Amino acid sequence: MARTLAMFTDTSLCIGCRACQVACKQWNELGAEAPEWTGTYQNHAHFTDQTFRLVRFVEEPKPSGDLAWLLMSDVCKHCAQAGCLEACPTGAIYRTEFGTVDINQDVCNGCRYCVASCPFGVVHFDDGSGTARKCTFCNDRIHNGLGPACAKACPTDSIQFGFRDELVAKAGKRVETLKGMGFKEAQLYGADTGGFLGGLNAFFLLLSKPSTYNLPEHPRLPQRNVVVDSLLSIGSALVVGLGAIVSFRSRGKGDGDA
Amino acid sequence: MLKTPHWEMMIVWYFFLGGIAGGAYFTAAVADAFGTARDRAVARIGYLVALPLVVICGALLIADLGVPMRFLNMLGTFKFWDPMSIGAWALGVFGLFTFASALLSFSPSPPAVAWRRKIGLVGIFFGFFLASYTGVLISNTALPFWSEGRLMGALFLASGASTGMATIALILFLTGGAGGEGWRKVKQADRYAIGFELCVLALFLVLLGSAAAPLLGGRLAVLFWGGLVVVGLAVPLALELVAHRTAALGAVSAVLVLVGGFVLRYVVVMSIQT
Ligand code: SF4
Ligand code: SF4
Repeated sequence: MARTLAMFTDTSLCIGCRACQVACKQWNELGAEAPEWTGTYQNHAHFTDQTFRLVRFVEEPKPSGDLAWLLMSDVCKHCAQAGCLEACPTGAIYRTEFGTVDINQDVCNGCRYCVASCPFGVVHFDDGSGTARKCTFCNDRIHNGLGPACAKACPTDSIQFGFRDELVAKAGKRVETLKGMGFKEAQLYGADTGGFLGGLNAFFLLLSKPSTYNLPEHPRLPQRNVVVDSLLSIGSALVVGLGAIVSFRSRGKGDGDA
Repeated sequence: MLKTPHWEMMIVWYFFLGGIAGGAYFTAAVADAFGTARDRAVARIGYLVALPLVVICGALLIADLGVPMRFLNMLGTFKFWDPMSIGAWALGVFGLFTFASALLSFSPSPPAVAWRRKIGLVGIFFGFFLASYTGVLISNTALPFWSEGRLMGALFLASGASTGMATIALILFLTGGAGGEGWRKVKQADRYAIGFELCVLALFLVLLGSAAAPLLGGRLAVLFWGGLVVVGLAVPLALELVAHRTAALGAVSAVLVLVGGFVLRYVVVMSIQT
């Protein structure tokens, strides 16, 4: 395996220009969609099969009564333990040698299990192609020595691309700087490989707690309970089976109590 | 913000009919192996019901993909920890078992009977798998209502067994076999199954806690309480306990059990859709 690549989205630098969102659409040839009114400048409300990068515009009430305007360019997290990948029954979702998670469009059969299995609601079903779609981490570009289109287009370096370990180190320093500047809640999301989901290969620097950005505080791998659930099902089978055996045996001789 | 998979009516039917197929096959195999010669009718009906249902299940699953040939992509992979992956395989294997059992159920020759019994006992495993894996499948997604309860698979299994028995009872009734020994035994087994299902359901709701909101607070709450708990479980159980000697009421209770089984799959699948 090659050295793990990552995208680091530093939301403190985002100016909400949406260059990433547009660059992603252009490079990946994603179609335009009718705008929707989300109550803020944000468009669309969520990822779609044609929107893999999405700038979120979050308004957080401050104690002073003002609103803090938080911007965050959101994307598939390319989880080290990815719910979508575990769920996929065809093997269409796979991990690249760089640690990113991609969907092979020729193999996907449209079952949509991955859609329900992403803890972040990233994967979206494309009715046109009948397949599941999401950010590819610009798989074609990174295999040709280029960074993802979004990172390339970002004018403020809010999206940075590079080796994961180097980016994490950089991100840690940035948090300290921001804290020194008075952003008390500045924190990394998904940088720690010992943390949730084994770490995210697209990780974030947030200026407030994750839930403010509509991110789960403690995302967990959906598949963690397969064994327990299966054992409980077997237990259920034993009880039902016993009931049936008793029933069919009890009056085995003669006509029974009728 | 989580996303829902837009599994709709085809999947509801798949869950429902897969449960019946597994439950009917299981009942048949138990009747075959543990019952008397007079329970043969139960066994044969169970086997013969399971076979077409499995075929329909396969067709539903394939049709839901949109592009049918892509089902084959599922068979290029075997992920033993992934319910969706093994489920597809198990459905196929169970199909072979139902086919063999249904075929053998026509032969009265002792070797055929002996084989059928053995095949049935192994086939029970795949039947139960089909009835319950769908519950395990949805309880291992990111959606809280589906995934917080831990007993979805157990509940689907109990319901599958019960609806399978109800189907056999109903066919017995329609073919004039009501009131006989096989009928009484199926009915007794179904009483146990319904009672057990009620317990599992209660425990399931407790385990779900606040995650039950889409079910208990959503637009399908009335259907859940009325259609499943009352009409589909409590009334048939009461009928079975009070009037299980009356064949017509036994048939009514079997119909209600089937209604309840369908409502269960319906509310579970549909209450999550936005
Ligand atoms: S964020 Fe969702 S879609 Fe992206 S890798 Fe993780 S589980 Fe898969
Ligand atoms: S929709 Fe496609 S990518 Fe998603 S789980 Fe099914 S086969 Fe895999």
